Amino acid sequence: MDAVGGIEVTGVRRAFGSVLAVDHIDLRARPGEVTALVGPNGAGKTTLLLMLATLLAPDSGSIRIAGIDPVTAPREVRAAMGWMPDGFGTWDALTVREVLETVGAAYRLAPEAARVRAGELLELVHLGELADRPARVLSRGQKQRLGLARALVHQPSILLLDEPASGLDPRSRIELRDILRQLAASGATLLVSSHILTELQEIADRAVIVARGRSVATQDLTDSDSAGTVSHWRITSLDPPRLMAALAHHGLATHPLTDAVDVEVAGDVAASELLAVLVADRIPITAFAPSYGALETAYLAATEDRQ
Amino acid sequence: MSLQGVRTIAVLELRQRLRTSRWPVVLGIWFLIIGAVAGLTWWAVNIQSGHSANTLVDDRGTTLYDVVLFFVLGLGMLVVPSLTATSINGDREHGVLATLQTTMLTSADIVVGKLVAAWAISLAFLMVASPFLVWAWIAGGIEIGRMLLAVTVLAFVLAVICALGLMFSALTARTISSAVLTYLTVAALTVGTVIAFLTSMPVMATQQSVRVKVIPDTWFQDHQPGSAEASANPTAADCVYINRVQSTLHTERTWWLLALNPFVVVADAAPSRKPLNYLGFEPLQMISDGARSARMGIAAPDSGIVNECGPELAPSQAQLTTGGPDGAAFQEQQQKLEREKLNKVPAVWPYGFVFLGLIGAGSTFVAVRRLRTPIRKLPRGTRVA
Repeated sequence: MDAVGGIEVTGVRRAFGSVLAVDHIDLRARPGEVTALVGPNGAGKTTLLLMLATLLAPDSGSIRIAGIDPVTAPREVRAAMGWMPDGFGTWDALTVREVLETVGAAYRLAPEAARVRAGELLELVHLGELADRPARVLSRGQKQRLGLARALVHQPSILLLDEPASGLDPRSRIELRDILRQLAASGATLLVSSHILTELQEIADRAVIVARGRSVATQDLTDSDSAGTVSHWRITSLDPPRLMAALAHHGLATHPLTDAVDVEVAGDVAASELLAVLVADRIPITAFAPSYGALETAYLAATEDRQ
Repeated sequence: MSLQGVRTIAVLELRQRLRTSRWPVVLGIWFLIIGAVAGLTWWAVNIQSGHSANTLVDDRGTTLYDVVLFFVLGLGMLVVPSLTATSINGDREHGVLATLQTTMLTSADIVVGKLVAAWAISLAFLMVASPFLVWAWIAGGIEIGRMLLAVTVLAFVLAVICALGLMFSALTARTISSAVLTYLTVAALTVGTVIAFLTSMPVMATQQSVRVKVIPDTWFQDHQPGSAEASANPTAADCVYINRVQSTLHTERTWWLLALNPFVVVADAAPSRKPLNYLGFEPLQMISDGARSARMGIAAPDSGIVNECGPELAPSQAQLTTGGPDGAAFQEQQQKLEREKLNKVPAVWPYGFVFLGLIGAGSTFVAVRRLRTPIRKLPRGTRVA
């Protein structure tokens, strides 16, 4: 683990009056990786992101962004960090291009440099055709893309994204995923907060699960065979009774559904072995797929105790 | 704070405002209102001059100047708070403040940029009203230097009000609260100071025994209507000295309350300073005279005796006859004395100017402090982003 770079959060706590928004969060996001921040509503994700974005000081604990403390040196952090807030507003009288040029000027880019950078970003997020339209006419998804472009104006090495995929159509989602993977591949540190676990599963290398203001688990998503962790597989057959009998025969815990059955299997290897056995038994299988992703499983396990 | 940062925000603010509001319409209405006031004033002073043959001076230009400047200040104080009073908390509500705070802009860049933009718009209002001031200048009676000083002080007052609005919009979460607080503060400065001054008068008054020269009550008892000597008038020889305990006002102790008033600051910086008083409507002159006579106070006469002896004070037959049929020359003489006394009182406006300057600088400082991030202590009811 390198000492400098990325995001390092240790024992951070933040209360608003009597409301404890963040109790104790530890988090590590490495350069070149996409780290997901997941958790139920009110778990403290947005408060944590505000602290990382240099807007809010933690009551206790320490934060290092690219090795810098955002409380004592916010300007240095801002120079290296891009932030895309959830549901941000925009200056509705400005055109899309002007929004990006204004943000460029706010990052002290010279007018010409800001213009060039705005053009590049409009290409990247496919808003070139709308460049000279007022920002207020953009749809929610287009606004999200503009928000991403805005966070990238000064080519930050650390990127904080709060619900970046919300409101995006499927095509934009895939493009977002590609942009984020590219940024990670170029060495940037990305921290993405989202509710859409399947999305994150595809984008993220690692997930930090927070609940009730505490970081409860860190899940490695790159390692597909996490033997020992129980995951659910959904099986559909043309002959359900025979399938059920076979599963019972192999002593597996099942959760019957109307037209399929969920089976608890420990690890990917066990799952592939199970499929081989069922096929060998000539049971007519039409679908065999994980019913929850690894992330969903981890998430559900971590947040099981919520009221 | 940097020039580039301030300019970035000012340009952003101006673009936003110019595109979202109907400025041509607003400025057009403003022009028409000031124009109507100026036109009516001009009409009124021309009628007055036409009717009285013995007008002492041509006061049309000075009256027009006074009225126009007075209205520009009055209406400006209604319009200008709306430029900044919802600026910061409004941006927070629209979710556009936090994204600026995470850039390389400092909180001073943001506040000063907004202040500059709002002030530029208030100057646009001033510019639209300027043709009427030029008209007054052409009509004559005002020095150009005085007029420029008045406009400069007026622009300064508008900047202070812009800063006040910014401070309240940084301090409160809701735009309605900051708007109300800004208007209340403007009201406190304009109306509150006058009320405070008026209520201070009886409080500060002292009871004093003074020696007064009067016509005694016994003289009037002797000359009751119906008595033999009813038609006689008292003469200077009838006056006697008496001692009287009377309440004396001490406006010279509380005149500074008036000096805090923006109207007084503008009026006293640049009244149309004619050599004579007259019975016209010259609001700035009246305000300035009022404030200066308050500063002068009601001093006891040099002799220590208050002369209320009517016959002695009244113009003599000789004075009346030399000054024309109704003693115009005597009146002129009296007015000149009065004006000379007022002109000797030191100016009142520098005090208010410094006070308003402190308010403006203090407001800006508070707003900058409140936008500083990262926030440690979040005030109740406010949001970060």
